[in-house]
Amino acid sequence: MLPRTMSRWSPETRERARRILARYPEKRSAVMPLLYLAAAEDGHLTPEGMEEVARWVGLTPAQVQSVASFYTMYKRERTGRYLVSCCTSISCMLLGADEVLAAVEDEAGVPAGETDDEGVITVEHVECIGACGGAPALQVNYELVEGVTPDTARELIRWLRSASPEAVHTDEMQELFGTRRSFDWAVPERVGAVGPFPAFEPYGTTDGNP
Amino acid sequence: MTDQLRVITRRMVEHPADSHTLARYEATGGYRQARRALDMGRDELVELVKESGLLGRGGAAFPAGLKWSFLAPARPAYLVVNADESEPGTFKDRQLLERDPHQLVEGMIIAAVANEVHHAFVYVRGEYPKPARRLQRAVDEAYTAGYLGEGIFGSDYDLEVTVHLGAGAYICGEETALINSLEGRRGEPRLKPPYFPAAKGLYMMPTIVNNVETVSNLPHILEMGPEAYKALGHEADTGSFLFSVSGHVNRPGNYELPHGLTWRELIYDVAGGIRDGNELKTWIPGGASAPWFVPSDHLDLPITKDATAKAGSMLGSGAVVVMDDTTCVVRAAERIVRFFAHESCGQCTPCREGTTWLEMILRRIESGAGREVDVDLLLEVGGNISVGLAWPPRMTTICPLGPSAVSPIISITKYFKDEVLAHIHGNGCPLRGAQR
Amino acid sequence: MSDHVTVTIDGRKLEVPAGELLIEAAQEHGTYIPRFCWHPRMKPVGMCRMCLVELETPRGPAIVTACTTPVSDGMVVHTRNETVQRMQEGVLEFLLINHPLDCPVCDRGGECPLQDHVMAYGPGESRFVEEKRHFEKPIPISELVLLDRERCILCARCTRFSEEISGDPLIEFTDRGNGVHIATFPDLPFSSYFSGNTVQICPVGALTATAYRFRARPWDLEAVESTCMHCTAGDRINLQASHNEVVRILGVDVEPTNQGWLSDRCRFGFQYVGSPDRLTVPLIRDAEQGHTEVTWSEALDLAATRIGEVLAGSGGQSVAVLGGARLTNEDAYALSKFARVVLGTNHVDAQMDDGLDPQFLAATVDRALISDLDSAKAILVWGPDLKEEHPTLYLRVRRAAQELGAALVVVHPRRTGLDDRATHKLTYRPGEGADLLTELVAGSGRASQARQALAEGPVVGLVGRTGYGEDPRLAEAVAAFVRTLPDARILPLARRANIYGALDMGLAPTLLPGRVSVGGEGARSIAEAWGGLAEHPGLDTRGILEAAAAGDIEVLFLVGADPLRDVPDGALARRALERVPFVVAIDQFLTDSSRLADVVFCADGFAEKEGTVTNLEGRVQKVNRIVPGPGQTRPDWSILDDLARRLGVELGFGSAEAISKEIADVAPAYRGVTWDRLDWEERDGIVVPDGGEAPLRFVPADTPGTRAGGDLVLHLARVMYDDGVTVRHSPSLAGLAPGAAVHLHPDDAARLGLASAETARVVTEQGEATLPIRLDDTLHRGVVYVPFNQPGMPPLGPGPAVTVTPA
Repeated sequence: MLPRTMSRWSPETRERARRILARYPEKRSAVMPLLYLAAAEDGHLTPEGMEEVARWVGLTPAQVQSVASFYTMYKRERTGRYLVSCCTSISCMLLGADEVLAAVEDEAGVPAGETDDEGVITVEHVECIGACGGAPALQVNYELVEGVTPDTARELIRWLRSASPEAVHTDEMQELFGTRRSFDWAVPERVGAVGPFPAFEPYGTTDGNP
Repeated sequence: MTDQLRVITRRMVEHPADSHTLARYEATGGYRQARRALDMGRDELVELVKESGLLGRGGAAFPAGLKWSFLAPARPAYLVVNADESEPGTFKDRQLLERDPHQLVEGMIIAAVANEVHHAFVYVRGEYPKPARRLQRAVDEAYTAGYLGEGIFGSDYDLEVTVHLGAGAYICGEETALINSLEGRRGEPRLKPPYFPAAKGLYMMPTIVNNVETVSNLPHILEMGPEAYKALGHEADTGSFLFSVSGHVNRPGNYELPHGLTWRELIYDVAGGIRDGNELKTWIPGGASAPWFVPSDHLDLPITKDATAKAGSMLGSGAVVVMDDTTCVVRAAERIVRFFAHESCGQCTPCREGTTWLEMILRRIESGAGREVDVDLLLEVGGNISVGLAWPPRMTTICPLGPSAVSPIISITKYFKDEVLAHIHGNGCPLRGAQR
Repeated sequence: MSDHVTVTIDGRKLEVPAGELLIEAAQEHGTYIPRFCWHPRMKPVGMCRMCLVELETPRGPAIVTACTTPVSDGMVVHTRNETVQRMQEGVLEFLLINHPLDCPVCDRGGECPLQDHVMAYGPGESRFVEEKRHFEKPIPISELVLLDRERCILCARCTRFSEEISGDPLIEFTDRGNGVHIATFPDLPFSSYFSGNTVQICPVGALTATAYRFRARPWDLEAVESTCMHCTAGDRINLQASHNEVVRILGVDVEPTNQGWLSDRCRFGFQYVGSPDRLTVPLIRDAEQGHTEVTWSEALDLAATRIGEVLAGSGGQSVAVLGGARLTNEDAYALSKFARVVLGTNHVDAQMDDGLDPQFLAATVDRALISDLDSAKAILVWGPDLKEEHPTLYLRVRRAAQELGAALVVVHPRRTGLDDRATHKLTYRPGEGADLLTELVAGSGRASQARQALAEGPVVGLVGRTGYGEDPRLAEAVAAFVRTLPDARILPLARRANIYGALDMGLAPTLLPGRVSVGGEGARSIAEAWGGLAEHPGLDTRGILEAAAAGDIEVLFLVGADPLRDVPDGALARRALERVPFVVAIDQFLTDSSRLADVVFCADGFAEKEGTVTNLEGRVQKVNRIVPGPGQTRPDWSILDDLARRLGVELGFGSAEAISKEIADVAPAYRGVTWDRLDWEERDGIVVPDGGEAPLRFVPADTPGTRAGGDLVLHLARVMYDDGVTVRHSPSLAGLAPGAAVHLHPDDAARLGLASAETARVVTEQGEATLPIRLDDTLHRGVVYVPFNQPGMPPLGPGPAVTVTPA
């Protein structure tokens, strides 16, 4: 391990970490946001990333791993550039989510839980993502697409491979591959996700559009 | 067709293009109530919310004013808004966050002032980055306008707001698990007693945890006064209520309604009836944790907290999941039990071991490998999580997650035992082929 | 009885203390409520759900966990009704569905709480027909502990111990739900000094110790209660043997000392007892052939002859005795009497130049009890790193600061194990302690906040030497300061096995048995009882070694002493031993020092003899025998008795117990301390009172320390695992020594041109060594830290002046 005063993060990430720490009365609270920074820095959550977080908040790496492993969104194995998360919980299942998942697995060429050989697509099935009114739904890098069908889901995978977008945007994908939504949304969201992490400005995980 | 109410959804319906902006929010009367709250102070605000009869919208329907009144005197106190909406069938908070985040921010200011809080948090589930972004932008706008930060609205009251993202764990919707998570720990529920948040919450200090919808109601309660607010609702269920309707209905969506209409009205009038002209088979009246209802017994029951409880279920967070006659109930139950098994935190034995065991048995029955004894086994394993299979559950667990997995077991064995047995005798689903 | 409430448990009305947990209250009245996760020394978590009971409430029956529910007045509890029995069966069935049921090959089998609970409360059979959860098994999580995750029932005792009690959370719950398991971080083992406790408290066989794994079945074990002799806390242990071999040590939960916990050094350090390297026959050294095995008579005759010649010639002044701290009080008394009466010398020292005044250690006024820490409002630790040298005391202080709200001030030249719980931590350069103490006394400078933290009593001061670079008189000055604090008590800290017992038995140049000072008022009655005493002033270890090196010592006794490795100035020790014409060693091993002895007597050791020991509070406890010594070993007292007889003196020692009676007669402080009492009604020990009629009362003096010269100061200090005899000959521990190294602050390293160097040349007045460099930013600037007596390290000497240059 590095001495506790040293960091392997970029100056920009370190500055984000400092700002995040300033948002909490106790530094341990910053563990979860810092884990996102660590994942974004290395592409997924690595042991080195967890050690770094441990140094920032004064925990042991084992404690950080304990926290990280509790939550499903800290991927401790390398994921593809696009993480495709298909909801198969009750409301989506009732409207054909299992068929959507099967189509995604088939088109991506990997079963849920795995990443294609090119490192482009990771498929997973997830529990409810709060899109029950627009079921069945999926997320690409946690950006939502509602009302997908097996066919549009296949198109989406093909599009991710061919267009290879720098960032994915929920409303753009919804326009292209979605149908019914849980509720109307009039103004397109311009900010999107640049990697398999939730796109949130303070974590530096967005494409930075206003 | 039953008319919807327009209280917390008014702005987003009337101004779809920009209901999320500060400009539109203020142009439609926003932040006046937060200013008023600063002049009122704790006692008056707590009393007002008590008078309004506002019930928590997160699922437990606990009186919000009473919860506030329990806040222990130690300071600092904290406010945490629970935006970890994750119960299958529920998607109302997402709409409130995306479409009217300032309404929530104003509600938070009111709740903060009422509870002498100077640092409030919003815990948004990790799978909601877009709602989190909208909220963060609203918070940023409010800081810039001087509505958050030091000396809000020119007063000497300071209020910091931190938006915190979860990372994929339904259990963090349980308030003590949420607090653990916000402290940078595993989202394992704490023991109650002694860790009642109002006494020993975030950082072991007095803490109020309120749901997004609950807090979004606060500006309206101040604006219209407790009496008018009460009058919106139905008897003990005051104000409006957001129902998230999903499944086999023609018009799924969030509906702002008063309580008191019947399930028939909600499913057939509001949500447009069953798709493809199919028959209604069963529905979940209040989220995946709730025991199911069936048309023969429950269609004309009024939708109220008490009537639903009397019939052995709950309204919970308002998620209504409708299933038509093509639905395999074993599969539906398996999907719900799988959810709770996946989301079990794993700290207490009956939930960790029992939910997965139930899932395994259901999957076996669904796949055609069920045994006659499995029906009783399901009930007995369920009974070791939820003693006597009573409602409300008598839990052997730390929190209600484990017993939630027992609800579908009770429902399918009570109403659809023949269908379950048909799986066992026929080596698989009798409806196979009938489904889409 | 306002502090008591009435509860009804299974129909019995009971008066129990208010606020007590139901699980404890029931047990005290004979109702055992089954449990796995609950442990009386840790906070309840209510996780395993084994202790579910039913309460009658106005709103109907309620299900609660007995481990998290405090009793309240009028509470009506059912612990065995039908509902409860069903829940118990349910929980056990759940726990077993994923349990491998490999009891026949499990170390825990036969003493397993899970087995026992299934027998008593479980369902007859399992209805689980699915595939069990699988994990690779077992996996080593440290050099000492293995983890079998399939057996684990996830009670979190081990994880809570490491977080709550020992403060090194290196094992944690990982993953979620049905996949939860215990894990360490990759490449970061559970290298805690206290890891063995988790094996002991594991309610199943999930955690096993390499030292015990597959060694014995519980029903084959013999067991006896005893006292640990590794550190000076007097930890209570259960000593277990199978087929005349010690195989396991468990902690015994007693309130005054260790509360059930042990350090790994104590728990696994028994292995040296059964080492094949033990001495089993007496040896004499021959100029050509080295040591050869001889009979006891030959060895004793040779020793008696040579000693007799010296005594007849130069007298007792040229005879000296080093060591004795590893002896029982009875053996130490025998040695003390032998030295004074037979050898006629006061050159006796059990402290191997550790530096503290023996009178301060043995008889400081206002001496604290360990349990005083529990009620302390403030604690000052100015002495060794407790985690390294007084591990269970470290746990007690940690608890006081973390759970009981005591303010904790730690003063040390570098990071210590307690720093994360310290309210205030002050670092300084050895030699500048007097300046820092002046600030602390005045409440000025950087010590002002620390001084305030010590303003409210009761205060306990744990005072000792931080390392060999520190002026030994500083500890006394610190103790004198502590005495000025409100309601203050002092624990003087020394680390050497039964050193307090040895000092109490007079194994110091200035002390006689019973804390009587040489030449003092009480000495007369001892002289009468013994029929004489040595008259000349005695030398301490350093004095003895210097005299020996100068040729003034003609016979040197080494009693369990290895000065070549164990005194800070190893080079002086070598000069001394090489110069002394006749060296007699009584030992369990051939050490670097006893290799130079002319006669080596093999002695019984720990676990092989009965006796008493005295801990740092002055608490006398029994040690007991569980195995015979190997080969021809004998108890020390009997060797000395024989030797005395050959020198014409009848010491009159018939047995260790007879000696204990003589101690009680002769040593005033030990009056009334009998084996009978210690074996029965006073198992937790008898604290020998400070003060009384004849014994001295040592008042620490406000002596200023000296200032070290030079720019760098050596901080030579002990760590838990070193190259000492007990660690080296315990295979489980031998590999754990951190190794020789010089620790530098990064700024100092840069200044010395060593920023990127691998090794450095370290030179003191007494020695030099080339050592690997470790950068440590917790060091006070200018402090050069070297852990003492690491394998392969040449004697460096105590400094304090030191130079560090590129190698």
